[in-house]
Amino acid sequence: MSLDTTKIIKIFSSGDLPRDHKGIIGVFGIYAAYNLNEFFYKVVSRALMKVSPEEAAQIETQLYEAVLECAYQTFHGARTSLTWEQEVSPMIRSPEEEIEALVAFTNVFGIGFLEIKELIPGKRLVIQVGNAYDPKRYLEEYGPQPVGRCYMFRACTASYMDLVYGPPFPRGKGTFRCQEVRCRSMGDPYCEFVAER
Amino acid sequence: MNPSKFTFKKVFYPTANQIELEGSLVSLHCHHFNCGLLKVFEELKGIDGISLLEKTAEEVFYQFFPSYLCRHPEINTPAQKLEAAAALYHFLGYGLLDLGALTPKGGKAKAYSSYYVTAWLAKYGRRSQKICYFTCGFLAGVLAVIFERPLFSYRVIEQKCLMLGDDYCEFLVKEASQCP
Repeated sequence: MSLDTTKIIKIFSSGDLPRDHKGIIGVFGIYAAYNLNEFFYKVVSRALMKVSPEEAAQIETQLYEAVLECAYQTFHGARTSLTWEQEVSPMIRSPEEEIEALVAFTNVFGIGFLEIKELIPGKRLVIQVGNAYDPKRYLEEYGPQPVGRCYMFRACTASYMDLVYGPPFPRGKGTFRCQEVRCRSMGDPYCEFVAER
Repeated sequence: MNPSKFTFKKVFYPTANQIELEGSLVSLHCHHFNCGLLKVFEELKGIDGISLLEKTAEEVFYQFFPSYLCRHPEINTPAQKLEAAAALYHFLGYGLLDLGALTPKGGKAKAYSSYYVTAWLAKYGRRSQKICYFTCGFLAGVLAVIFERPLFSYRVIEQKCLMLGDDYCEFLVKEASQCP
């Protein structure tokens, strides 16, 4: 792979996001907002800790689906944007490089750095994240967790595969499912996500 | 309210994919996730998910806003702090707030645009329930800071909402000690 991911990160992290006259940020066909990472961690962890493990798993599945929709729509909006067409598409020579470009694009949202560790075209994607916010906080506040807590990265990982190797947009969402096989909240040194059909 | 009067230092760390806003980590999320999260919490069984959302927003902004004010000692009157809070809300992408009528005893705040209304309409369409829970929590948190009160000193109730066809969202702010 020889994609200039640093350039992609620079393109999409520079400048201010466009806002309408009412202050709402609209970009790539979605409405975006910043929030404190601590907000997302606290609100989700408090809900999970109040319910049974089965109910917690159900909540995490719902959150996974919400992020999957978010990622699928946002990444598709990005890859069909004028900026992508002008700046990124000329660099992409294969579906695998499109995956790499989408991962680089994700690396501007402030959620922790995603790295591709393995990509078997059309079959399997392995992503690692060493600095996700939530796992560290779970360890600090609740101790080691019985399961991985990174629903957000699981869904992102699946969405790359859905977009690139699944049926054409918008029919591909859910073609791949992702498991978190390692999580810092469980005591692992990094979080690892495996998406497969 | 003139949001551009206030500055918010945002630093992006490209090798870590971290965004620091005035010393705290923030991230950018789209309406599919933000509304999806809200829907999950509205539908939680056995837990008051709405209260959890509001209280969490209240708590995190009660923690965040003092650190912002410490970095900006030029913002030193309650009126300036109210304007700064509205500017922060705008900077984050949640819309336009008018907090000018609020006092330490409470009062009414207005929002002339709402991220959650816009976002929910785009994703799910119109609904018959108010939706600005996050704003209620945000307001309760920053007002406790501005008027130098402990956390959970204010109760904020959305009385009007753009979602319901009102011209603006209106939030009644009361001292928690005055509430039943």
